[in-house]
Amino acid sequence: MKHSPFTLSRRQLLKAGAGLSASGLLYTSALQANTIDTQARIVIVGGGASGMAMANRLATRLRGGTITLVEPRDTHHYQPGWTMVASGIWGPDKTMRPNADFVPQGINWIRQYAAGIDAENRRVDLANGESLDYDYLVVSTGLQLNYNLIDGMSPDLVGQHGIGSVYASIEGATRTRQAIKGWIDKGEGKGIFTAAPTAVKCAGAPLKMTFTTLTHLEESGHRDAFDVDFMSPTGGLFSQPWVNDFVKQRFDEQGVNRRHHYRLSAIDPQAKQAEFTFEGEKDSLAVPDDLRAGDDNAQGKPTIIADYDFIHVVPPMSAPDFVKQSDLIAKDGPHQGEWLDVDIHTMQHKRYPEVFGIGDVIGAPINKTAASVKAQAPVVEANLLSAIQGKSLTARHDGYTSCPLITGVGKAMLVEFGYDDNFAFMPSFPFIDPKDESWAAWVMKDRMLQPAYYAVLDGQA
Amino acid sequence: MTFTGAMTILMYALAPFAWLIAGGVAIFLAIHLFAYLRGYQFSQHHSIVAMLLALALGLSALFWIPWFTNSELGYVDTVFDWVAIIGGVIATMVITFFTVHPLSYLLIEKRE
Repeated sequence: MKHSPFTLSRRQLLKAGAGLSASGLLYTSALQANTIDTQARIVIVGGGASGMAMANRLATRLRGGTITLVEPRDTHHYQPGWTMVASGIWGPDKTMRPNADFVPQGINWIRQYAAGIDAENRRVDLANGESLDYDYLVVSTGLQLNYNLIDGMSPDLVGQHGIGSVYASIEGATRTRQAIKGWIDKGEGKGIFTAAPTAVKCAGAPLKMTFTTLTHLEESGHRDAFDVDFMSPTGGLFSQPWVNDFVKQRFDEQGVNRRHHYRLSAIDPQAKQAEFTFEGEKDSLAVPDDLRAGDDNAQGKPTIIADYDFIHVVPPMSAPDFVKQSDLIAKDGPHQGEWLDVDIHTMQHKRYPEVFGIGDVIGAPINKTAASVKAQAPVVEANLLSAIQGKSLTARHDGYTSCPLITGVGKAMLVEFGYDDNFAFMPSFPFIDPKDESWAAWVMKDRMLQPAYYAVLDGQA
Repeated sequence: MTFTGAMTILMYALAPFAWLIAGGVAIFLAIHLFAYLRGYQFSQHHSIVAMLLALALGLSALFWIPWFTNSELGYVDTVFDWVAIIGGVIATMVITFFTVHPLSYLLIEKRE
């Protein structure tokens, strides 16, 4: 993060250029807001997209005080690019940058894992036994992938025995691509794509993986030799109602067998068998001919066994264990025990007003996406600064989230929506209809969203 | 999306190609300067080659622009898609024409 006084890093040049561009325009934005004097100690736990955005924003807005960023990793991963890697469109190197490119000067970067949060005593415990006291805390830890909740499954299995999972890691995404290719090269077989029973980051990713694989299957010239199943643990495929109906219809048109209320509960890698627990009404279960009934599980729910040649596993997700074990976890409601307990509009913790949450870790009905971080960061910035100054919190997050839903390699839909009006569309560009598949939406995904993401990390957007 | 926001993101998108863009502009200006010093005047020089090459490269952009973005012409579907790609076609034609036009003058002058 330290640079020679006689040279400018690429990020500094970008920031300077962005600042010059912005100041040259006769438009006052929140990025031009005044600095605030403070002696507050602010700790940001997690240096992913949301944590890094907050570090840059607060470093710009605060004069005095200390900002500490707890982030153990040297490499920053552009996770929205992992579906592109797993689909064979991007190489993995394109998605990685040094974290040092984004960490602002003047903050304390602690390269340690966080191990615990003592909210009563305003302390963050680190993995090395040390602790950090804070006056204000930003929880931006991201979420945890709970592969262990699927019997027989672990991230190490990704890439083996026909198992893929775009979420596991950049290496996992790369191995997923190889697993898909290996399956298609066989010329026939069954592929199963799954969804998780919990909120997930990038809820569109399981669908994107299905659609891009369908493109590759069709390009092979032997589409009819392949069976493709999509197993959803609920009755739906996507939270936005119009998109949900669209995807269902498109899956039907492209010959995808939709199975609803099927939750992946176990996997036997050696036998290439997956067990699904039926989560619907027992009476409504009709086991398809290409699957077979298993034994009822310990809760008395029926199970179904499926043989596969390729399976895309989407693990259940939650806040990291050390957040779940803290007093910051939701105590009741739909996010009880699983997600950070914040007001989804102000981003302030419901019981600890000096704590704010941002990004994937928060309990919210939607918006575990990078685009949501772009919308949440200015709200957290404004409200945290109001809290520091003893003012009422006036900034509100409307739940904005965006999914450039890839519906095939080379085309996508720019789906943007928020909390209100049953997840009504919130298009950023009046000339791009969220209901249209378009080349332009694909170009945004392929070329523009990654630069936008880095601008968000730098606190410039 | 505000105009400021859009411009900021555009700058981040173009930054990795800044040297390429600068180099291209430098070469373009150098060609024009060199040709001007050799007596080139746009209105006095006619180049069928420049026109044909601009047309060919411009129309071919309908295919290689989507290809460059890992897509295909068949997915160019909405009004905005067509506005964007036609804009790319026109830009390709203009750049090709105004690069080849002085170059053709220099080549003819060299032969004479």
